[in-house]
Amino acid sequence: MKLEPQIVVVLALLFVASGAARAGESAQEDKDLSLIPPPPPTPPVATPVTSGASQKIFLEDAGTESWLEDRLVPAPPPPDARWEERALFDVRKEWHVGDGLRLTYSGRVNLRTADGLGFPNHENLTNDLREAYLSWQPLDRLFFDVGRINVRSGVALGFNPTDFFKTRAVVEPLSVDPVVLREDRLGTLLLRAERVWSRGSLTAAYAPAVSSDSAIYTSFDLRSFDPMLDRTNAHDRWLLKGTIDMAEGLSPELLAYASQGRVAFGANLARNVGKSVVTYIEWSGGRRGTLSGDALAFGRATGSLPAAAASVLPGLGSVGFRNQVAVGASYTTALPKITFNFEFHYNQAGFSGADWDEWFRTGSGASAPSPIPGALWYVREYASDQQELISRRYAFLRMDWVDAFVPKLEVTGFIDADLTDGSTRLQLGADYYLSDRWTIGGLVLVDSGGRHSDFGSLPQAGSVLLKVVRYF
Amino acid sequence: MKYSQHSLAILPLALSLCLGGLAHAQTAQEIVAATDKVRNPGQPFRTTLRLTEYVGGQERDHDSLVVFSKEDPATGQFRNLVQYVEPARDAGKRVLLDGHSLWFYDPDSRVSVRISAQQRLIGQAAIGDILTVNLAADYAASVVGTETIEDATRQPRKCWHLELKASNDLATYNRVEYWVEQGSFYPIKGKFYSDSGRLLKIVYFRNFAQQLGAVRATEAIIIDAVDSSLATTATLGEYAYQEIPEAWFQRDYLPHLQVK
Repeated sequence: MKLEPQIVVVLALLFVASGAARAGESAQEDKDLSLIPPPPPTPPVATPVTSGASQKIFLEDAGTESWLEDRLVPAPPPPDARWEERALFDVRKEWHVGDGLRLTYSGRVNLRTADGLGFPNHENLTNDLREAYLSWQPLDRLFFDVGRINVRSGVALGFNPTDFFKTRAVVEPLSVDPVVLREDRLGTLLLRAERVWSRGSLTAAYAPAVSSDSAIYTSFDLRSFDPMLDRTNAHDRWLLKGTIDMAEGLSPELLAYASQGRVAFGANLARNVGKSVVTYIEWSGGRRGTLSGDALAFGRATGSLPAAAASVLPGLGSVGFRNQVAVGASYTTALPKITFNFEFHYNQAGFSGADWDEWFRTGSGASAPSPIPGALWYVREYASDQQELISRRYAFLRMDWVDAFVPKLEVTGFIDADLTDGSTRLQLGADYYLSDRWTIGGLVLVDSGGRHSDFGSLPQAGSVLLKVVRYF
Repeated sequence: MKYSQHSLAILPLALSLCLGGLAHAQTAQEIVAATDKVRNPGQPFRTTLRLTEYVGGQERDHDSLVVFSKEDPATGQFRNLVQYVEPARDAGKRVLLDGHSLWFYDPDSRVSVRISAQQRLIGQAAIGDILTVNLAADYAASVVGTETIEDATRQPRKCWHLELKASNDLATYNRVEYWVEQGSFYPIKGKFYSDSGRLLKIVYFRNFAQQLGAVRATEAIIIDAVDSSLATTATLGEYAYQEIPEAWFQRDYLPHLQVK
């Protein structure tokens, strides 16, 4: 049989093409194989699994420079520090002390100097006793804890309505990132019992009153080695919370909290949507005053505000059922790996637009030493101390980018926008992991907005922090 | 779920067919199920996992983890508990994966938050990459053909070339190309693609060794297909069977997990 010349050509082309395709696949295989890193010259030394599992110890040095501006409503003295230098030694460690017994310690010793603080004095050296408690597991899946414990709840990132033990717990933070604020805070002295089942859990906690309310602290009157139980245990407090698996991936958490004759309820719900999205909602509600009303009551109780302050504070209102909500979603991009959290925050007890108008109208033109701006600013200091939203509505966006631009560089940042007036707080931070032991980093904070706005009226317009960390 | 039940049911048959030299008679799904069995022990177990990150062939960083894995008979998928051991800045952090639920616990804040499977663990390894998973439960497989490819040590291996498509939203990747050695069912190589069809990662398996009653790959090399200078090796060790109570897979158990 003799093939037509055209058929021969076609077959030849097909053969060449298939050979080229095989050569291409083979070349691709070679390329893939060439990307395999060479084996290490010496086998890695196995790390005992318990060596680093129950402790985190680091030494950090951080310097902060802040920019202050004269504002429409002058803040009462003392002015914020323009600079601060802080060296801190931070320890979190657990010890097994017996059958079913575990001891946990978490604390930080700070050596600090700052503009206006002076040196040397007893406030240069402070100790934050975050946690110190004993855990006992008498039965499988039954746990008792007693001591100072950081009890935290909530699925949101920027604002946690159900985090009932957050009030007054944050001491001189180095960052205003909400993720950092919930780590660097004081625990509460309490007794806690927890039972975990295969489809849920139940937790009960009681925090006794062992101290009484104290005035809001400033940077210049911290107590050196006092555990500051007045911040966390000024009143009897109760918490009951439980989770239950209702369906695949659906396990809501319900909470009830009681303190000073008031009961609040809360709920947390989070759900994965696909492989890159998590949605969540967090709610709490209960009878309480407005933010101004609660601040006035606290100020009077601690002798910080005169009775006459009621005449200048906006939005006093009356006690009623009020809600707080955080609803949002996280999204992780495929390439590069960036996780975004976008949230809406609501505090029914916070300032409305009319309250802000009144706040600025009352305070404009007053001099700093007069009692009027002092009372007005007290509400804002109270909100910060309680970690509560001053305004009613905020939008919050946070970003976390691992290996940003170059490997081992983690960039985090958030923007918090007050939806009442459009003012914003922006913080951008970067940590570069030089090695397992060393990290260097920094962050920039900028508050911006109009003169009659939430963030635009803060005395501090911005700050820069540089740090170096050594882990042990 | 349907896939997993089917896969588990045919597994003994698949293995017996393999031993009988009748591998050609198997479906793609049966092959994936059989290679899942090679990768994953059939009883609850714990292992250590060392993740080493390379940049330009040079070791850059490493993490050490302890992993507890247990198969959920209802779904055919593994549930995993992970605790970070190294580096020091991450020590004590924990991750729980149970079906649609993925929780991250940070001992600094004492709180567990939900995370997504896309979130990065270390280097090129997403959480969904390194945890124990049964691919047959999350992917629908088809056979592309039979090929002889070189494994990570450049030894020729006669493989099924499989195409895996995500069959539910638990799958970390939309599409996977998978090469499984005929006869042994050893996983040799994988290519993982994004939803848009972009090649994200190339994975080679190597260092096959006897662990918990079977020969298993004890190392995976994860190569970043976008930036080919980046690679991560995942080395498994210290395998041990361990009873894992159901309550361990509750998020509220995470703070109480004790790694000894």
